[in-house]
Parts: sequence; structure tokens; C-alpha cells
Amino acid sequence: MKQEKTEPLLDAGFWRAVAVMAIISAALMWGVVVMPIDRYLPEASTVSKPIDDLFRFCAFFGAPIFVFVNGFLLYFAIRYRHRADEPMDAVGSDIHEHHGLELTWTIIPSILMIVLAVLSYRVIPLYYPTDQAVASAVTLEAIGHKFYYEFRYPGLRQSVMNELHLPIGVPVTIDVTSAEESPDVQTGAVIHSFWVPEFRVKQDMIPGMVIPIHVTPDQIGIFRIVCSEFCGLGHSHMWGKVVVQSKEDFDKWYADQNRAAAAEAAGVQPISLAGGVASAGQTLFNAKCVVCHNAAPFAQRKVGPGLADLFDDPDHPDLVTGKTATPSNVADILVHGAHGDMGVMPNMQANGLSSKDVADLVAYLQTLHH
Amino acid sequence: MSISELEQHPASHIHPPPDTFIKKYVFSLDHKVIAVQYFVTAGLFLVFAGLLAELMRVQLMGPNNHVLSTAVFDEAYSLHGTAMVWLVGIPLVTGAFGNLIMPVQIGARDVAFPWLNMLSFWMLPVAGILVFSSLLFGAPQAGWTEYPPVSLQLPLGASLSLWCAGVFVIGVSSTITGLNFLVTIIKMRAPGMTYTRMPLFVWATGVTAFLSMIATANLSAALAGLFIQHVFGVPLYDVGRGGAPVLWQHVFWFYSHPAVYILILPAFGIVSEVIPTFVRRPIFGYKAIAYSSAAIGLLSFMVWAHHMFTSGLQHWEQLFFMILTMVIAVPTGIKIFSWVTTLWRGKVRLDSPLLFVLGFLSTFTLGGITGVMLASVPADAQEHASYFVVAHIHYVLFGGTIFGIFAGLYYWWPKMTGRMLDERLGKWHFWIMYLAFNLTFLPMHWVGLLGMPRRVATYDPVFAGTNMFVSISSFVLAASILIFIINAWRSARQGEPAGPNPWGARTLEWMIPSPMPYYNFRDIPIVLSGPYDYGKPLPYANISQDLAMVPVH
Repeated sequence: MKQEKTEPLLDAGFWRAVAVMAIISAALMWGVVVMPIDRYLPEASTVSKPIDDLFRFCAFFGAPIFVFVNGFLLYFAIRYRHRADEPMDAVGSDIHEHHGLELTWTIIPSILMIVLAVLSYRVIPLYYPTDQAVASAVTLEAIGHKFYYEFRYPGLRQSVMNELHLPIGVPVTIDVTSAEESPDVQTGAVIHSFWVPEFRVKQDMIPGMVIPIHVTPDQIGIFRIVCSEFCGLGHSHMWGKVVVQSKEDFDKWYADQNRAAAAEAAGVQPISLAGGVASAGQTLFNAKCVVCHNAAPFAQRKVGPGLADLFDDPDHPDLVTGKTATPSNVADILVHGAHGDMGVMPNMQANGLSSKDVADLVAYLQTLHH
Repeated sequence: MSISELEQHPASHIHPPPDTFIKKYVFSLDHKVIAVQYFVTAGLFLVFAGLLAELMRVQLMGPNNHVLSTAVFDEAYSLHGTAMVWLVGIPLVTGAFGNLIMPVQIGARDVAFPWLNMLSFWMLPVAGILVFSSLLFGAPQAGWTEYPPVSLQLPLGASLSLWCAGVFVIGVSSTITGLNFLVTIIKMRAPGMTYTRMPLFVWATGVTAFLSMIATANLSAALAGLFIQHVFGVPLYDVGRGGAPVLWQHVFWFYSHPAVYILILPAFGIVSEVIPTFVRRPIFGYKAIAYSSAAIGLLSFMVWAHHMFTSGLQHWEQLFFMILTMVIAVPTGIKIFSWVTTLWRGKVRLDSPLLFVLGFLSTFTLGGITGVMLASVPADAQEHASYFVVAHIHYVLFGGTIFGIFAGLYYWWPKMTGRMLDERLGKWHFWIMYLAFNLTFLPMHWVGLLGMPRRVATYDPVFAGTNMFVSISSFVLAASILIFIINAWRSARQGEPAGPNPWGARTLEWMIPSPMPYYNFRDIPIVLSGPYDYGKPLPYANISQDLAMVPVH
């Protein structure tokens, strides 16, 4: 290694630049530490904060790396510019290696990686259960369908659709899978994903695999379930809710589910469409149906056809069940569901509809014109 | 060298020039003409794929937009990714830049197998036609990764077969090019050019060639599997009959992870060439950069399942891939630090090629940092398949590969065409592209972490403001490419003629006329040392020192 002149390799200007970069880095690192992530995205499960802290660790050390790389780029590019008064063929320093420097910038990142790996390794069991965790927790099933979530609770005869109710503070194991919709791969189950951003938990729902994850919610509230694995035309609209409740509210909800199931099983009454309220139906439509249907003419499909002008267009195509578009035939589809060519129309239980809801929806559809 | 010595050394034999139009410009065996063919064809696909992205961004300007139907939107991002990886990125960095520069930098007259080289090129337009013709039948909609079972369902019919066939064809092209380049580098270096005297672009191309040759075969196998399931019903991915969807993910990513290193290593090579030229000083850490390229090449085969952390891997698998992914970050960091240090005490000329390199260093560093965030299995639980990943991939593929490609284009344009590009237009192009790029992709990290998934035609309205901002920035980004197109057009018509060495560089391509004669070198050069020792005489025994030129400005 040859020195060009007797002046130090790194002079005062260099260290001034380093000082500026150090101050900016320190500010960013402080920001990473104090940033209230919870304010932007609630940390609603016991694994949320550990995962956020891993992200903070990466950002904490990433910030100075980013600042120093960009800072030195800027500083060197400006300070060592070829100046107009220098000869055109002037060359720079011939120093082309420095073992100490190169070793340093190999060893320090390696140490950071080791630390990150160890810290990450300790967080994994918090949401991927060990055998003891599985044995001690309540187990639910989460099943992905096109394009909704089905949840099965122990002791509940009927599944709950799209709304995962959980009591606060209780560890649960969720067995995550995808539905066996039909034996034909052409129309059968696909991969979905169960992602609750506020929980920081994501598990793909893979046909043929049952993958347990472990969650303990620790904030009361309503959080989103987002499908993050492309699953077909309804993927953009596949989302659900996690409702974390106090133990008392959860027990009440649980008991209600059993009561409703018993009532439905006790006697199947034909749906009466009289007394359906269109405005109530509109609220339901906007909450549940817009995922797959447009309030627009038939041709404007989402997953299913548009539902405007269902009953007053004499040329309206037949319904997916092959019957003409009449209020009672539409009510049949709402009650029993149907298989379309691009997705499955869930039945009334799957959609969480009562008989009154069906009547309200049909009443609304009778008023829906484009 | 005497005539008899020339005759004894087979590489010194010069063939007569090609004489017909077809032999000169259509079915050319000349690596430099083939390179131009790659540039033009892949450039065309770049425009198509970029327009598809802009269509997507129009749809995503607001939630519940009806600019594109969901099906067409899904086709758009699937073809955008497919084209950018296989019809634009890989062909440009290997077929275009590798062909144009590598043989000349090692002092050869052409590649080892010129006829195979020509065949490799012609597979590109065939693959492009196959892939884009799927639009006529309803293109595939499950992303460039086409995970079964959903990829086998959407849409029905010919399009998945066309996609499989098209990607298979470009895969064969890539494999052949890899073989060709590797043999060329091993067997055809000029006398005296040991491996540690090779330019770093040749190192990069060599490792890339190794990856292309070995990894791509796995893609071909995966595609064949998808095809035989789709057409003949062989139940590879069908759970009901003993198959497994995750099988596709393993085989696909076993190739596609090395593929992203195929995309970036040549760009690293371009950076390693441009910096010494525009700071007139040796690259810092030549051996570290050379050997870390080889390390990255080997390690790239051991990290694939970091794309599958949420796919039900065993705990030990998650641990293994997490650790190796973190390991591969270290040699990458070494390169970045070495490149930045090369600027120290240089004589820096902020011309367009160097500006794009600085832009690369700035953006790729952030992409590398977000890559480490993705490497941690629990952190990935939040980030996977969200817009955070979309941001990461564009920081490394656009900020990395595309900025590297532009750096190389501005650098080697005079060598390829014999004309200079307009430096002022180059600076406008760089600054608008760099700023618009960051404004487009930086906000995506944020909405991804807050819960916006990938591959969606609509989103939670809470993300509307950010998406509108991103879309508008992306329009500016797309427009900035027009500046380059205008620059190229004007250069072709009235650009300042370039001599052999307008930048005052020292690698062998600058020792011959611009544009390069079909035989490259009248006499095969004899190499005495490495190429980056600015201030010392040129390290070639039989090349005039007059070619150690000063930069033109």
C-alpha cells in the first residue's frame, strides 16, 4: 500500500462528513426506537410487538448503513470531482485494498446477521406452536374458500363465516387449511392466505395441508383478515374480520351461535318474502354482496353477475340455477347457495343471513335499477 | 508477432466478412450484431411490459376503479412480471451486454459457439410471441409465479400452455447462452489474461453464465410439470390424487432465486467497469468483488425457500433458509462498500454512466436492507406477499438491474454505435428517473406493512391517497424513458462521432475502433496485468500506448 503524500489518508474534511452522517444516523436510529408503530397499526396480539421489534432491529442498523453509503457517495462525488484546472488525464489514488477495512466491513455485518438470526429464532415459537402449546390451547379451524373464510369452533355445530370471534388473552391454536371444494383440480381448492396485519400473523391456506398457528389476542377491537395469496378473480375482495371481545361478550356470542344453529335445525320454514324492507336489504347488500356483485347491469361482472334490473328486464338471462329471474327463485339461491363458473355463491348460513335478511335483500333487489 | 506465429495461434485467424444482408443483419454469427438484436428486441418487450405496469397503476389510482376488469388487471401484472424477468431483464444483461462486451474484454474474436449464440437470440422473439399471444386467449392471471392450483384454473384453455411454452423456450435460450459464455471465458482468454487479470464484468458474466446453465434446467422441469398436468392431467400438483401444490413452489423457486442473481450480477459487473473509468483509479477490493461474485453464485442455490416462509415449511427448513439468506447479504454488502470506497480520492467525472451507477448504489442499498428485513422469518410473516415485497423487488430489480442497464448503455453506446449520446439529455433522464423511481416505490413499503396485499385490483380505501401518489409518480417515471429514446434517436442521426476511447478507459474494448470491426482485434492482444491501474502504462504488450486516451471532457 503506497501513500501518495505525507498527509493523512483521512483528513479533517472526511471526519467532518462522517460527523454529519453520524448525527443524521443517530436521529434516524432514535426515530426507529421511539416510533409508535402501535399508533399506525395496532399491536393486537402477543406476537405483534416481538415482530415489530425485529423490524425495528433491522431498521435500527439499516438506517446508518443507508445514511453512510449515500452520504459517502454524495461526499466523495462532490469533494473528489475532477476540477477544470487539473490535467485531463489526471488519475486518482492507487490504493486498491486495505485488509483492516475490508475485514471490518465483513465482520460487522456478519455479527449483525448472527444477532438477527438468534433474535428471529426466538420469536418463531411464539406463533408456530410447540407441542405443549398445541395441547394447552383451544383449537379452531380456519378454512379458506373462494372467496371467504370459514371458521369452525369446538362445540359449535355450524361454521362461522368471515368473522373470527376471539376472547381477549386466551391462547388459541388455529389449524389453517384450504377447502376441498371439489375433486376436480379445475374447480377445486386453491391456496389462500390468512393474514391479520394487526396480529402480525400470516399463514398460507394450502389444500391438503393443515398448518397450526398460535395466536393470543391482547387488544379488544375489530381487525381485518386479508387474503394475501392470489386465489382467483375474487382475491381482491377476499377479506374478513377478527372480532376480539371480552370473555363475557365472547361467551354470549358463542351461546348465540348455538341457539341460532338449533333454531335453524329445529324446523326449516319456507322463506316468506312479505315484509322485506328494501333499505335494510341495501345495507346488507353493501356489507356482504358487493364483494362479488356489482349494483349494475348483468354484464358488469365481478365474481358474479351484476344484480341491477333483475326482475324488470324481460330479456334478463336465466339465473345460474337455470331458472328464470323471479323473486322466489332468487330467494332460493340466497338460501341454498349455488355453484357459478367463477366462484361459489355461499348459502345463507355461510353469508350469515337470517330469513328476514333474505326477505330484505330480495326487496332491495326489486328496487335496484341502474 | 510474425506471420508464422500468427498462423500457429488459432485464435488469430480472421474469417472473411459476412457478405449478404441476411448473414450480416438477420442470421448473423457476430456476437456484436447479436447483441444489438437482443437490445432492440428486449427493448421492445420493455416498452410493452412497462405499458402493462402503467395500465395497472391507472387502475390502482383509486379503490374500486373500473378502468380494467379484474381479469384483465390480473393478466396485466402476470405478463408484466413474466416479460420483465424473462423477455427483458435476463436477455438484456446476458444476451445484450454479455454478448457485446465480454468476448472483446477477454481479447477474443467471438464466443465459443457463434451458431448457438444466434440460435439463443432467435428464441427470444419466438418466446415473446408465445407469451404475448396468450393475450388473445385470455392471458394467465396468477402472476409471473403461476402457483397451482389456481394457475391451472384461470383462465381455461390455451393460455397456460402458451405461457409454459414461451417461458420454456426462453429458458432453453438462457441455458445455451450460459454454456456458451462459460466455455468462452474459460477457453478463449487472450494470452496473459489470468482469471485475476480479467475485467470484473467478465467475472460477473462468468458466474451469471454458470447460474444460467445450471439453474434454468429446473425451471424447464417445473414448466414441463405444469404443462403435463394442464394438458394431460398428470396429478403433480393435485392434492386429491397424491400431488402437492407446494412442490411447484420448491421447483420454481429453486430456479427463480438464482434467476434474480442472474439479473443482478451483470449489473454489478457494469458498476465495476463504470466506476474506475469515471474516477480514473483502480477499483477498490478487486479480489473481494471477484470472489464475492462467485460466493453469491454458489449461495444463490441455497436460499430459495425464503420465498416460502408462510407455505408450511418445517421449523428447521425455515431456520436453514433464514440463516443462508442472511449469509448471502454479507458478500453483497462487501461489494457496495468496495464500490463506494473506489470513489474516495478519485478524479470523479459525473457523466451519465456514473450518475446511473450512483443511483444504483443508492437504491440497491435500500433494496438490500429491506431484503434483510424479509430474511427474518417472523418479520416476513407481516411482509410476505404484501406491497412491502413489491417495493423490495423493484428497488433491487429496477434500482439495481435497470439502473445498471442504463449505466451500461450510456457507457458503451459510443463503442457500439461510434457516436456519443447527448450528455445534457442523459443528466435530465437520470435525475427525473431517480426521483420519480423513489417517489413511486418508497411509499409501497408503508402500505404493505399496514396491510395492502399484492395482486389486487382494488384495496382498502384507507390506502387511496398513497396509491394515487404512487400512480402519478409512476407516470413521470415512465415518461423519463422517453428522454433516453429521444437521445438515442438523435445520436443515431447527428451524434458527435466517437473515437476508440472517449472515456479514457483501459479495458480491451476501448483499444479497438468504434464501432467495433467484425473481427474485433487485428492482432490478439497479449495481457501483462490487470486493467484498472490508472496512471501506469496500458497493460498490453502489442497495443499502442496512444490508446490510453484522455477523456473527451
